[in-house]
Amino acid sequence: MLARLGLEPGDEEFYAEQLSGILGAIDRLQELETKHIPPTAQVVEVEATLREDVPRPSLSQDEVLANAPARVDGFFRVPSIQEEA
Amino acid sequence: MADPTRLTITELGELLREREISAAELALLHLDRIKSLDPDVQAFLRVTEEIALEQADAADKALAAGDPGPLTGIPMAVKDVLCVKGVETTAGSKILAGYRPPYTGTAVQRLFDAGAVMLGVTNCDEFAMGSSTENSSYFPTHNPWKLDRVPGGSSGGSAAAVEAGEAVFSLGTDTGGSIRQPAALCGVVGMKPTYGRVSRHGLIAFASSLDQIGPFARSVEDCALILEAMAGHDPLDSTSANRPNDVRHRINAGVEDMKLGVPREYFDVDGMEPGVKQHVEQALKMLESAGATLVDVTLPHTDYGLAAYYIIAPAECSSNLARFDGVKYGLSAQDEQNITDLYMKTRRSGFGTEVRRRVMLGTYALSSGYYDAYYLQAQKVRTLIKRDFDAAFEKCDAIVSATSPTVAFELGAKTQDPLAMYLCDVLTLGGNLAGLPGISVPCGMSGGLPVGLQVLAPQWREDVALRVARAYELASDMRVEVALV
Repeated sequence: MLARLGLEPGDEEFYAEQLSGILGAIDRLQELETKHIPPTAQVVEVEATLREDVPRPSLSQDEVLANAPARVDGFFRVPSIQEEA
Repeated sequence: MADPTRLTITELGELLREREISAAELALLHLDRIKSLDPDVQAFLRVTEEIALEQADAADKALAAGDPGPLTGIPMAVKDVLCVKGVETTAGSKILAGYRPPYTGTAVQRLFDAGAVMLGVTNCDEFAMGSSTENSSYFPTHNPWKLDRVPGGSSGGSAAAVEAGEAVFSLGTDTGGSIRQPAALCGVVGMKPTYGRVSRHGLIAFASSLDQIGPFARSVEDCALILEAMAGHDPLDSTSANRPNDVRHRINAGVEDMKLGVPREYFDVDGMEPGVKQHVEQALKMLESAGATLVDVTLPHTDYGLAAYYIIAPAECSSNLARFDGVKYGLSAQDEQNITDLYMKTRRSGFGTEVRRRVMLGTYALSSGYYDAYYLQAQKVRTLIKRDFDAAFEKCDAIVSATSPTVAFELGAKTQDPLAMYLCDVLTLGGNLAGLPGISVPCGMSGGLPVGLQVLAPQWREDVALRVARAYELASDMRVEVALV
């Protein structure tokens, strides 16, 4: 549900079987004692770099919207997000 | 003149500069070869003939003016995950069908600036998730050596195109081995640079802490030329490093003063084929006779690498792929009446089985209650694996092993068994977890199929990996043969 994958009947069994096999293989990670090991999220030391805060050319609204499945008045069009009050 | 579809960049550069062949002729020769061979190989998703002829024309003008760049007039192919302005780019997925990027990514742009000529877009596993290119939503690619075999993956189309003589070089991406493994299985040279060496601006992300862009080519020197043209800091990718572009430094210096580490764990992995092991051991002997000293090193957490990788990569992909929602681009279930149904239906019909599997796995590993046991633990194991490599590199300059434990397998052999497919990357994914540069060079044939030798070097030492690979190429008289399909 969280991943919004739109599962259909039959999917759950199919994936449950495969994922439990994969999770079984992954579970061996628990064998390692890691209490004092720091986690690695970024493996290369790169200084946090910010660009100069100067304006630069960017895409036009038309270019950004060119791939939109539906657009209206310069916006992406989506179905209703809230029920009408 | 030898058949130009079998030559290297260095050789073709000379022919072009001496006007023995024009860039336009070279482009047409390759386009013809694609027309005649690709119905069998299926390396290309799209051929960009118009762009190729336009760029070839510009290349001929630069050559006539006596002002060629390092890659002027050289035909290349681009993996379907790299944005090229106006060229349909789909990451091998139905969910991006019809997407035409409004800009060209940095790596490709730098190759265009160096004079390369784009022939087309190559096939890959959907969102680069796979090791055989069978997860492409469009069609599988075939290995040019034996058409009933896979080319490896995920950059299988790029590897097969170079092997089949359909392109002189190509671009791939490597998250767990997706350049090196198909290079090995197709018998070409393929390189994954250090994490941060090449800008990923314009790359459709799979796992952001692991992804790198790199080349496929027919020689180590070609690989170095392409990498040099792409490398370097880019303000548009905050993970791209600002370092000297020294990748080709002393590439011909040989291995006489070098210690090469041989990790026993990498020779005894499950599923290691005797033919592969034998050819790699022969390659090590050859490097030894070229002057290198072989030393035993140990990478004790090798067995845990696969498990850590298959937490970290799916976790990152589940987050990266959240952007495919049917609103901004690509496939969209426009008939739905509310936004949640639009998301669900779009993702339901747009994503293939492996992508769904990884999004589920990643979402699960990141969910509260499981985060510490899976994601955090995997990140800690990543530290242990990085430390294994750090310790090994105190004893040696580079690490040598097989690239893949097997030669190319038959289409369909592993599609029903995700774990078996994941094991294809067991010798390559450590390099991604540790951010190392790695190269695969062909080191012989086993049962009529190519075997790859992998060289891993410390971070930012592409020069070392390339020098070792180049020394092997010279010592073995290795030449990438073009498979005659």
